[in-house]
Amino acid sequence: MKHLIIGAVVAATVFTGATAQEITLGRFFGACEDAGTDTKASSGEACIIQSIINAADAEIEGVSITTLPTDWGNYYDQIKASYAGGTPPDVHVMHRHRIPEFAGLGALADISDDLEAAGIDRSDWSENALAAVSYEDGIYGVPMDFHANLWHVNMDLMEAAGLVENGKPILPSSPEELLKHAQMVKAATGQNYLAADFAQFPLGVRLVLALIWQQGSNISDGVTASLNTDEAKAAVAAMTQLFDAGLADPQLNYADSQQAFLNGEAAILVNGTWVVDFYSAEAAKEEVGLDNYYVADFPTLFDTGATWADSHMWAIPASLQADEEKYQAALKVLAFINDHNIDWARTGHMAVRTSVLESDEYAALPHRSEYTGTAGIARDTPPSKRYGAIQDVLNRELQAIWLTGKKADVALADAEAEIQDLLDR
Amino acid sequence: MPEKHTSGRRMTESQAALVLLLPFLATYALFLVYPFFRGIWISLHDWNLMAVAFNPDAKEFVGLHNYERVMWGKDITWGALISPVQQVIGVLGFGLSIFLHRIGWVSKVTAVALGVAAILLFVLPGFHPAEGGRWYDRRFWPTVGNTLIFVGLTVPGVVVSALLLAAAVNRETRAMSAFRTLFFLSQIMSVTVVTLIWQIMFSPRQGLIANITETFGGSPIVWLTDEHLAMAAIVITTIWWSLGIAMILFLAGLQDISKDLYEAAALDNATGAKAFWHITLPNLKRTITLVIVLQVILQFQVFGQAHLMTRGGPNDSTQVLVRYIYQTAFRDSDLGRASAMAVFLFVIMGAFSVLQFVLGREED
Repeated sequence: MKHLIIGAVVAATVFTGATAQEITLGRFFGACEDAGTDTKASSGEACIIQSIINAADAEIEGVSITTLPTDWGNYYDQIKASYAGGTPPDVHVMHRHRIPEFAGLGALADISDDLEAAGIDRSDWSENALAAVSYEDGIYGVPMDFHANLWHVNMDLMEAAGLVENGKPILPSSPEELLKHAQMVKAATGQNYLAADFAQFPLGVRLVLALIWQQGSNISDGVTASLNTDEAKAAVAAMTQLFDAGLADPQLNYADSQQAFLNGEAAILVNGTWVVDFYSAEAAKEEVGLDNYYVADFPTLFDTGATWADSHMWAIPASLQADEEKYQAALKVLAFINDHNIDWARTGHMAVRTSVLESDEYAALPHRSEYTGTAGIARDTPPSKRYGAIQDVLNRELQAIWLTGKKADVALADAEAEIQDLLDR
Repeated sequence: MPEKHTSGRRMTESQAALVLLLPFLATYALFLVYPFFRGIWISLHDWNLMAVAFNPDAKEFVGLHNYERVMWGKDITWGALISPVQQVIGVLGFGLSIFLHRIGWVSKVTAVALGVAAILLFVLPGFHPAEGGRWYDRRFWPTVGNTLIFVGLTVPGVVVSALLLAAAVNRETRAMSAFRTLFFLSQIMSVTVVTLIWQIMFSPRQGLIANITETFGGSPIVWLTDEHLAMAAIVITTIWWSLGIAMILFLAGLQDISKDLYEAAALDNATGAKAFWHITLPNLKRTITLVIVLQVILQFQVFGQAHLMTRGGPNDSTQVLVRYIYQTAFRDSDLGRASAMAVFLFVIMGAFSVLQFVLGREED
């Protein structure tokens, strides 16, 4: 009997050991300790994605997933180093803007022929979502969302300044009106009109970029940099007029600007879609200064609507295709994430699957109806293998204008020259 | 003590030494010597981090091109008064080194070291792009300048504060040994923890420093996004972090000074600050030199503080050399150029190591 039990245990170990595929997964979004496996109960980016991963680990037969420790700020450096060292994670998240760099080098697996077998229906993806994961003739990932800059609104402050009509905030339609609204809020409440992270991550930069796009201009055409332009100067001036008049504080970083908004010290916070569910939850709390929360599309201050946007997607390294079983297991993980697109949309991000976009559950998500225009005005800078370096140049030079008093035309000329160097390299 | 007269064994002393050294030499060669020469080799190539990983033939030998792209520019000329402040200080420093040597205040070696530094200060800032010219990499030299400023502020800060602390806690009481442990504790923390603590300290909304300034009626200072204060904030953090090891070295040096000297001095009415100045400092000269050189070499490699607290900003005012190397290698995947910068950093630190070697051998 004893021998039988031991034999059975050994057999079981060998059996499961032979079939369970160990999948390593790399992601940003931050850490969530106790995400659980209930994909409907979690809140916030970190916990929602981790609950989906935990559920995949529990529910997909023969696949176990290990989430690797990674860090937001250095994510791509880590991923690149792991590719260079020949040990990339089997599945990892990335942004649409990184596809030219990674797929261009042959780092990512082209999964176009394997989607159907894995149970991923690409005809359900919206046209933009398919474009987001496509490069040349291949498909290099499974899209998860669109995310964009929004205007998060404190309705009580707006109401006090007389900037609410029919339950909706009145947002500016020109730089002059922006200044006027800001002065009205200051006069009525003593608070700043607008807050954003102008000092750390490129949230403020994306705000200025949107204003450049709204005038039909861009930072480059992919070959020639064009930042020392009247349009860029007008975009910068629209923001600096608020700083100069003391109606917005350029020195707040991400955490501080968010805290200012939640404390009720700013009528508008410019931040992404990823915080809608978090701010809704905060606004419901008694002790939080923000009570009456509203989400709005980025307003058009110039000619045409535009706001910065990007896409999260999941990719598999090309090297994994050599190990068929592991590759199939990785595809199953991607399919599972694709199936839970509605859960991820709970963060505030826009879904990528038409069936989800048209569902009642999606329409019922908090504040969802307030920013339906965003998908139509989503923009980004031209695709480039040096996207990250170009973003850093923009961040540095634009921040120099409002943080260190560098002359706008000098900073824009410097940025243009440096972006040109990067495009020429 | 080696026993020189044991006989009858097959190995000679030097053979035995070689065998015992072998594990170290092998490790040293594998993990230090090989990567070092490999780094120089990479710096002579156009070498994309990921492209070469997928295809080893994707690199191209370019000679010294990377060095040129990093350090040189188009139409670079030299002028004697381009950066007047540095260059005048350079000339004065050169004169001072000769003068100090003549009157016998400094030894020949120190005078030569000072003179060479002064000449470099005169020559290097004189290079500049002529009309219509430009640096190929306009961020490299400002980054080197920031690194020098950081080292120039941090090293004296660490040395002076560690020396004063060591002198204060150099007593055999229980309280003092508790203090010694306490001051050393910051040293064992990782850079992530240290920068987290200080980011909270410097935060204008919740920071301790902001709370103190507000108590006295001032408006909170936004340290980390102020062009003039960001570097100071990083320097303060680094001094707090690096105090421990310097303090321990000073304590060891202090305990080597004979008590008799202080007793003799006390008879001549030299106590307290006077004794510190006339007895402690001269006897600690070697330790001070050692600590300065070690700190210079250590602080040139600053990375985490600037990377985590300010991300090199605002306006590149805290961008330091190692962070630039890191960005060039991993963000831009340009391993060749990054290696060229790393070799440059090696040359600077190598110069300080040589200096330490020379000063350490110098007879008083």
